[in-house]
Amino acid sequence: MSNQQNSEPQDQNAERLKEIPKWTRRYAQNRMLTIPVLMVMGVLLIMFIAVLLALPLHLTAAGFKKGNMVLGFVGFALFVAALAAVLIFLIIFISKFCRKNSGLIEQLVEQRIYGKEGAVSMPGPKIMKKNIWLGIVIGVVLYICFFGSWHLATEGYIAFKYLQPISVFYIVPWLVSEYFQRRPRIGPLFLISPALYTIHAILIVAGVPLFFTTENFCIFNILLPLIGYTFLAYVIGHVYSRYALKKLKGITHLEGEAANGD
Amino acid sequence: MEIDKIIHEPTRLRIMMILAGLEQADFTFLVTTLSLTRGNLSRHIEKLESAGYLKVKKSFKDRVPNTSYQLTQKGSKALAQYWETLDAVRQSGRPG
Repeated sequence: MSNQQNSEPQDQNAERLKEIPKWTRRYAQNRMLTIPVLMVMGVLLIMFIAVLLALPLHLTAAGFKKGNMVLGFVGFALFVAALAAVLIFLIIFISKFCRKNSGLIEQLVEQRIYGKEGAVSMPGPKIMKKNIWLGIVIGVVLYICFFGSWHLATEGYIAFKYLQPISVFYIVPWLVSEYFQRRPRIGPLFLISPALYTIHAILIVAGVPLFFTTENFCIFNILLPLIGYTFLAYVIGHVYSRYALKKLKGITHLEGEAANGD
Repeated sequence: MEIDKIIHEPTRLRIMMILAGLEQADFTFLVTTLSLTRGNLSRHIEKLESAGYLKVKKSFKDRVPNTSYQLTQKGSKALAQYWETLDAVRQSGRPG
């Protein structure tokens, strides 16, 4: 009798409780802000290095052009110093974060963002036992398609306008295959990225001017949407993970005595 | 039809259900998600572990000790069995 009484409140919530694994999974799959943060950090670092090297180089060129040898040599000395600093930084960086510690930066960023929430992990991909040759073949095909179409565009065989729409035929299958290779570690929200990439292409073909027309920037017709939509997919994933966590806490939260019960 | 009393306790049921959706989760995640005290969670974890439903993994994360939990095969089976039994009890309790 007492058993029956105890189980009554749980019976009422049974269906809700059955949803816990679903929301836990959705939360874990979409904790993806680490990757966009790493992307931003990478871009900022590259920009900083570019500025660090470009400024003294500009100074050197300006000095020698104007016949101001002092300015030219000072600029050159600064450039050499900046280059040495960058090289030392890269050596330290590679020795600290590569090889054995390859996942350390990701771990540190993840800890910074999600540390207070604790750590969760999803089961490894089913297609795992990573087929290294498949990865190499995909990489080579992508390389050929990407640089090939870029070269054809600069040679005038492909209009800059159609560079991105043509890239849909190799970028989208690659992104979709990435999803299938990495699930269930990542959720279906990742597919927002190839979906938006395809919509972008359709809009261009339909006449919307979402592209660069100059040769110098034509490669960004592919890179900007690819990086931008992937970034967006991760950020949407992160926002969704907040929602999933809220739902999860709503289901799992127990009041006072129930929580402390034996 | 006997309900597993270890799993039937509300907090332990929630712990098991959270772990059922994951490969593993650490102590901090379970504490914050379930809004429990650390001592209370430890007590429930101990019971589940001694029943063989959970596997404990101790490691270091950024030189800080980290304890993670994983549902064992026995735990997964017991959880599935628990829901089957509970559903059967609920069905048999319905009028008509």
